Amino acid sequence: MQEYSSQAAYDRGEAVCVIGAGASGLIAVKNLRENGFEVDCYERDTVLGGLWNPQNQHSPLYPNTHLVTSRSQTEIPDFPMPDDWPDYPSAAQMLAYLTSYAKHFGLSEHIWYGSEISHVEPVDGSRFEVVVKPAAGNAARRLRYAAVIIATGHHWSPNLPSYPGLDQFRGSVLHSSQLKDPSRLRGKHVLVVGGGNSGADIACEAAVNAASCVHSVRRGSWHLPKYLGGEPSDYALARLASRPKFLRRFLTDRLLKGPAALAARMGVAAEGRPLEEEPVRNGRYMEHVGDGSIQRRGEVARFDGFDVAFADGTEMRPDLVVLATGYRPKFTSVDPKLLGIEGDSPYPKLYARMFSPHKETLAVAGLVEPGVGVLPIVHWQTHAIAHWLLVRKSDPERAANFRVQVRSEAEQDTARPAGSSPRHQLAVDAEQYLASLGRIIDTLEQEPAK
Amino acid sequence: MSLAAWVRRARTPAPAPVKREYAFFEPADLFDLEIKDDPEASPVLCCTGDPAGAAAFNALWLKRIATSGRYAAAVSVRGQGGTPAAEGGLEARAHDLVQAAVTVPRQAVLIGHKEGAAWAALAAGRYPTAGLVLVSPRQVPKQPPRPVGAPPVLLVVAESETQSKEAQAVADAYGTAPLTFAGSPDDVFKGAGAEGLLDAILSWLAAGKKD
Repeated sequence: MQEYSSQAAYDRGEAVCVIGAGASGLIAVKNLRENGFEVDCYERDTVLGGLWNPQNQHSPLYPNTHLVTSRSQTEIPDFPMPDDWPDYPSAAQMLAYLTSYAKHFGLSEHIWYGSEISHVEPVDGSRFEVVVKPAAGNAARRLRYAAVIIATGHHWSPNLPSYPGLDQFRGSVLHSSQLKDPSRLRGKHVLVVGGGNSGADIACEAAVNAASCVHSVRRGSWHLPKYLGGEPSDYALARLASRPKFLRRFLTDRLLKGPAALAARMGVAAEGRPLEEEPVRNGRYMEHVGDGSIQRRGEVARFDGFDVAFADGTEMRPDLVVLATGYRPKFTSVDPKLLGIEGDSPYPKLYARMFSPHKETLAVAGLVEPGVGVLPIVHWQTHAIAHWLLVRKSDPERAANFRVQVRSEAEQDTARPAGSSPRHQLAVDAEQYLASLGRIIDTLEQEPAK
Repeated sequence: MSLAAWVRRARTPAPAPVKREYAFFEPADLFDLEIKDDPEASPVLCCTGDPAGAAAFNALWLKRIATSGRYAAAVSVRGQGGTPAAEGGLEARAHDLVQAAVTVPRQAVLIGHKEGAAWAALAAGRYPTAGLVLVSPRQVPKQPPRPVGAPPVLLVVAESETQSKEAQAVADAYGTAPLTFAGSPDDVFKGAGAEGLLDAILSWLAAGKKD
């Protein structure tokens, strides 16, 4: 235990520790403060905004990143974005938005920058001992908190695929997060691997900037333009949810008829019912496929010297390979068992996608892909977590009943067939998940905490 | 704000954006060395049902609030003062007020006068205000939304209105006893009555800070 500056941990009493000062962390801090908690938020980088801040060394931003969900579905419910902003704000605007959120609610004074959490250890029952390792200086500090909320996000640890011969490939290979500057594409023959949102966006960037662009996708997925019927498409589809059930399917199909026909024409075959899993939201992609500036190919079979061979037998010689293969969730400080991570899968199994199944005072915020904006979901998650911590403190009997309810919600959730790709492990149906969150919040708010 | 209310709002068309007229006054704008900007004090955002909008607060209110070390702002909602008229009723005006509140540098106290009180009551259901002050409220919905973040609420009515059903309904809805001020409910922007009213509001705000 030489590495610790002192043996005794500093006890922070009823304070709550939030890990990460990205969008989810900021919302967690604000909602906990609003419910009267003292909060310490630790951010390993020196800036706030998490993935939206290009100065963050783990930022996944690629050239020209924009929101894929529209403003009205993405803004934090109690802090709307300016109504003169575009429907799909850019990454820079998102950062400005989060910065003004932090400033408006005075969150910065609760954030410790450059402080990485090296370890979180449960101690005496429900409390946690947290070891904070400052980036500068050497002494680690140990503190004790009543609860820990993990808001580290899941877009910082790149998911790198392994292809035969990739490590001996003679051209340059970049993950989408390393492609900061669109000028790196200029005049190159570019191969983009990965059919998610980032893959489609980068293929579109390459289509206008690069000499040629080949887009390799392993499987078909639904493509949704950013506008449907003159409205932002997520808004247009969400509005249908208020229709009666027998009409909903009919209206959804009618709304998606055009995009589906276009996708079929472009050979972008999709499996399953529309919107069963998170679609690719990009309006320009199909046009670029249509004018030939993006050529679609199947899966990459192997890399060979300067060449890349595809599963269909064709070959190409790219100057630059961009792996838009997404991210894996990664938890560095907490024992994975506490989050229900078992076996090889990096995906945790949580109650209601936020509560640890083993520790009552450990929760994760923002580890979902709801297919609508994540920020409002995180707002309601942290609202529920803050109320849960209040109820737990004041009324143990209700807290026990609540645990039972959350467990049954979690069982309903896993009964749903999981997506066919490992990428969709975090995906939830926004409608169902919001309803479940609503039930949780209603139970917690039923009677005011005494 | 409840989750259900948010879901409903996110799925109804947003009011058409308008270019809103603001009036604001910072303590530094007074050019008085005696007056210090108090970084702990919440800024104040005012609105009124008076057609003059934000300009109505220029005569006395904004300077007086800034004198107490607070950032003071007022907004004209659609159809008032220099803000162009646009579609939308109560909800759209509350939207204007929330949009104005998020541009204030810190979490703001909302002061609504007459119809403005109704907009402020609705806005407080969507935005966590630091405090909600309703002056001679008019047309407040029978069951106003529960203010987000449980801010302190102050209801001020003119002496002539203390017995009115409207004032009592609002007092019941928020569970507060109304404070009264001398003078008519339309005459709150200048004169002796206005100063007394403002002093009462500012001392209430200052007392709330200490708690």
